[in-house]
Amino acid sequence: MLQSEKRSLVRFLVIYLTSTLLLFSLASWIFYTATKHQIIDQQRTALKYEADHIISKLRLLHNSNEKKLIYPRSKSIDSAIYDTDKKYIFGSYSDEQSLQKGKETDMLYFIKKVEPYYLGAAYLRTSKKLERAPIEKLQKSIGFFMLVAGALFLVLGYYLGRLFVAPMRESLEKMNHFIQDTTHELNTPISTILTNIEMIETFGKHKESSSELKRIEIASKTLSRIYDDLTYLNLNHHYHRQVVTVNMVALIQERVAYFSAMSGAKNLNVILKLEENFTLEIDKNDALRVVDNLISNAIKYNKQNGLLEISLSKESLIVRDTGIGISAEDLKYIMQRFKRANKSEGGFGIGLHIVSQVCENYQFEFEIKSILHEGTEVHIRWKK
Amino acid sequence: MEKIVLWSLLSVGIFASSSTLENDCLSCHMMQKIPNDLIYRRYLMTYSTKENVEDAIIKYLKNPQKVNSIMPPQFFLKFPIKKLQNIEDQRRKENVKAYIEKFDVQKRLILEENSH
Repeated sequence: MLQSEKRSLVRFLVIYLTSTLLLFSLASWIFYTATKHQIIDQQRTALKYEADHIISKLRLLHNSNEKKLIYPRSKSIDSAIYDTDKKYIFGSYSDEQSLQKGKETDMLYFIKKVEPYYLGAAYLRTSKKLERAPIEKLQKSIGFFMLVAGALFLVLGYYLGRLFVAPMRESLEKMNHFIQDTTHELNTPISTILTNIEMIETFGKHKESSSELKRIEIASKTLSRIYDDLTYLNLNHHYHRQVVTVNMVALIQERVAYFSAMSGAKNLNVILKLEENFTLEIDKNDALRVVDNLISNAIKYNKQNGLLEISLSKESLIVRDTGIGISAEDLKYIMQRFKRANKSEGGFGIGLHIVSQVCENYQFEFEIKSILHEGTEVHIRWKK
Repeated sequence: MEKIVLWSLLSVGIFASSSTLENDCLSCHMMQKIPNDLIYRRYLMTYSTKENVEDAIIKYLKNPQKVNSIMPPQFFLKFPIKKLQNIEDQRRKENVKAYIEKFDVQKRLILEENSH
């Protein structure tokens, strides 16, 4: 799966699952609240039935001639009777209770008026402990339902996501195939042009048209670098790296010489501050892509008679130019693939993306500082 | 010591009220077979509190007429209206208190050991 495809799928899943979860949570909460009230109401109804039962018993007791009048009592429900002044008369509580409902959240209360006042009772207070078992069972059921629904929607969301990103995947695949085919077809003519230029330069047949040949050389080398970049990007996933000791000083000098025609065309002042014999454990092609892209960018976006300074030390590689610079807004996205801050020059916008990928692979710190119209400074700090 | 004296005085007071009730009221009630218990329950069912019951009975005793009684008309067919007693208010009040104390049905309430 491509990186962008994975990102889109993850974003879709996050949005889809979050909204579904929110919706389900809201529905579950409404259901839970309604059912909980229903359970509590059922338990309160038991209190009402008990109150009616006690009142009927009070009526019998009121008319009874027995010496001892046995007050009706239930296992789970306590009760007490009060006169019209709300004064306690009698009850099944362990101590005298006031007529008001208690403040305990786990208790249910029911107060009923008694008329006529059997045994002087004007009010009857019944109460019982709230049975939490049915509520806990309900909570477990809702939790289980949410879990199952969540898993189901995760699977469904994944398939839906794959379905939605399929057109994007096709487009990306088509573009990759196109780049692959193009690079393949470019290789032979670029090699032919560069070889022939070298032959002309070697055999000294270029005296009359040396400036035209220089331009052809620059254009060909630009094409060659683009070809190398595109090939690198396409093979990136399958490419087997060979980490060797690379002499970075020699590499930079060689690439500066390679691009000398380009830098010469802009009459750039190239300053090299290279720490002698500095080597790096890196795949040679990776090092080449980094150096090539940074130098070519610094030349391409530089001003006429500008400055190109390359500093290499044990800590870092710094490429500084006095070119057109990058705005702060563009700087945020400049490392993304196919992103270009300035379209006045040729290119695909893949150079800095490649540099950033290489840095990520080797855990180098990659930083770009730039001021628009003043210049750019690229820092690569080697890992400690 | 103070408690003993207080309890003694209280007991003597209750005993004294009780004997006055016997002489002033219950002796006649016994002869006429007036259902004291039934009357008290009827008052209690109507007035709920002992204070209200006391007030209602005193009101009737001061002016013994059918309109001042809560007993049904049939009751008076069997038990004629009593004559006004020529006693002091305080004594009447004490008699009524003693009457309520004697026939207090709420005192007979107990809790059942086995619940349903």
